[in-house]
Amino acid sequence: MNGAAGGAERPRLPPARGRRSSGRSQPTSSLPPGSAGPPGGSGVRGPAGRLRARGPCRRQEGSQCKVCHFTQRSSTFSFPKICNIFWRCSKTASDEKYQDPFQLGRKDLKNLYEDIKKELLVSTVELKEMCDYYFDGKGKAFRPMIVVLMARACNIHHNNSREVQASQRSVAIIAEMIHTASLVHDDVIDDANSRRGKMTVNQIWGERKAVLAGDFILSAASLALARIGNTTIISVLTQVIEDLVRGEFLQLGSKENENERFAHYLEKTFKKTASLIANSCKAVSILGCPDPKVHEIAYQYGKNVGIAFQLIDDVLDFTSCADHLGKPAAADLKLGLATGPVLFACRQFPEMNAMIMRRFSKPGDVERARKYVLQSDGVQQTTYLAQRYCHEATREISKLRPSPEREALIQLTEMVLMRDK
Amino acid sequence: MSLRCLLSDELSNIAMQVRKLVGTKHPLLDTARGFVYDSRNNLQMRGLVVLLISKAAGPSTAELSFQHNMVSGIYSSQRSLAEITELIHTAFLVHRGIVNIGELKSCDGPLKDMQFGNKMAVLSGDFLLANACTSLAQLQNTKVVELISSAIGDLVQGIYYENSKSSEENCLTDDIGISTWKEQVFLSHSALLAKSCQAAMELAKHSAEIQDMAFQYGKHMSMSHKLHSDLQPFVKESSSDTVAFSLNSAPAVLHQEFLGREAWIKQIKEAQGKGNIMDYKKLQEAIKAGKGVTSAIDLCRCHGSRALAALERFPPSEARAALANIVYAVTRFP
Repeated sequence: MNGAAGGAERPRLPPARGRRSSGRSQPTSSLPPGSAGPPGGSGVRGPAGRLRARGPCRRQEGSQCKVCHFTQRSSTFSFPKICNIFWRCSKTASDEKYQDPFQLGRKDLKNLYEDIKKELLVSTVELKEMCDYYFDGKGKAFRPMIVVLMARACNIHHNNSREVQASQRSVAIIAEMIHTASLVHDDVIDDANSRRGKMTVNQIWGERKAVLAGDFILSAASLALARIGNTTIISVLTQVIEDLVRGEFLQLGSKENENERFAHYLEKTFKKTASLIANSCKAVSILGCPDPKVHEIAYQYGKNVGIAFQLIDDVLDFTSCADHLGKPAAADLKLGLATGPVLFACRQFPEMNAMIMRRFSKPGDVERARKYVLQSDGVQQTTYLAQRYCHEATREISKLRPSPEREALIQLTEMVLMRDK
Repeated sequence: MSLRCLLSDELSNIAMQVRKLVGTKHPLLDTARGFVYDSRNNLQMRGLVVLLISKAAGPSTAELSFQHNMVSGIYSSQRSLAEITELIHTAFLVHRGIVNIGELKSCDGPLKDMQFGNKMAVLSGDFLLANACTSLAQLQNTKVVELISSAIGDLVQGIYYENSKSSEENCLTDDIGISTWKEQVFLSHSALLAKSCQAAMELAKHSAEIQDMAFQYGKHMSMSHKLHSDLQPFVKESSSDTVAFSLNSAPAVLHQEFLGREAWIKQIKEAQGKGNIMDYKKLQEAIKAGKGVTSAIDLCRCHGSRALAALERFPPSEARAALANIVYAVTRFP
């Protein structure tokens, strides 16, 4: 295992903890060429042999190539399976107790949805029903989870306090509300009829009321935000609202140039998905710790995890089926959106360019595009890119003082990659 | 509306896209047209009122160092607030113009156009709201953010009530008394201005009493404005064409209260005649014959007086006189 992996690593299964960088993110020029795998953290060298993935680094001038010091060779892409085995194995080798992130955050989030509903004080029964519709506890609660864990990790880093402040918990609530408000509006914009396994608000109550419900949730979030009483926090989270809207606008436009397209895609991804997570993490770090370096760490973690999350989401749109997802698949193509897998596939199949430019509007475009993507390595490339963002997130969060919450946040990056819905 | 906002890429993008709606029946086109050609000169009235009341209240008595930021007697934060109020008002004008896809008929035109119009309406409304939120945050005053956020919530509820009424085909009128009507109209037409006026006072650190007076002015003046607007079909000289009016407007609601619901429903049915086409002229005559109109005029003047009473607490000035003139304008009937 040692020599074959070509690693300068110690001859043992790196524990889950070892996925983090400290010391691992050194440029792999120290390793023999051709043996470098994906960046340290989520990269694995298991008994199954070397794992290297083809890196798009050379060709992605538009994107941020963060940790790509290593050389790329062709690969077999069997990362998920290996990682899975690896992950389970690592539990026994790990020194720290493996904790399920969701378990850790459970206590703080126990009454999350109830509390959100309390913020949505409105006298009209129907409007209340609409606003409460998505706060039924069936969503992933992924964002509040990250926020609460980040809050604790920062508190511990600052003064060893494991308690989550009331204001930090409010941030989790506010983040989830802003997210949901944007979902409601997105469903109207996309004319979607199902989400999270049930009908959308606009499907049931009509578009007019759905838009109002989204506006109401947003106003309630804004009110809760004001009540925290901290103008810095208000500014940080209001940035999210602006980014969400600008992200939607970015989606309206399209770029001709291939390189521009990818940068455009990443920018849109940041604005629509990562900004919320990045800024909520930053907000709780500000509330928990006065050190600006910590704020930056929290922000970078959130940003990288957020982008990875969306990239995997875009992958799942191709690889998963509708029932499992809870929403229709190939949705992005049908909306005319060229996401990661498509943009990568386009390099192998230049005939996709025309389809991208016309936003898959001609009959048969969606099907053809889908086939091209599945024939190409678009899915793998996108997943690999997501891994790199996760690695970066891990690298950042590792700068904080060790704690179960910090571990959980690292586990979370794994979970982002592993998810299937 | 702020120039910066108007010149943004996003809005030019929207403007370009909205052009595609020309020839369709999407309401967004009317809303957009209304921004350019507003025959009743209602453009940016709210912003104007916020500016005037800021000026009328004068500089902050609390903090003398505050006064550096003043231009023409108005703090830059108050100017920003006036802009914010307009942004929010406009955002909801736009969001009101969404159509329910499920209720469309073939005479409304291609589905694609309506969906596209909806998309533009949601996006542009959201854009304006996001801008308002960002500007609000920049004011660095949590109490003001609280006030305006709650005003947005009020506005949503008010519009929700508006919606519910208009969508009911069979029951053309609600069984609401005038007090419920007032509550609902407060939400949809007054809350934003009232709370903005109060917030403008807060920005200059004026006392709670002055803040309340500003709120009262905003509230009562907007109520008068709405009543005035509702009364127009009933006080104009009778012309050959009678415009359709809302059966949930003040005169109608008051008329119903005096007459009793049964008699009112009967009058509606008589005016509907065959084929369910409403003869608005006939219904208008019925309402005029009753006490609804005079009652509504009284109510309008009553709110006007209360607005003027609130103004009394401000020192005399040109700005205060202008605010009084607005009240006179919305309580004047031929």
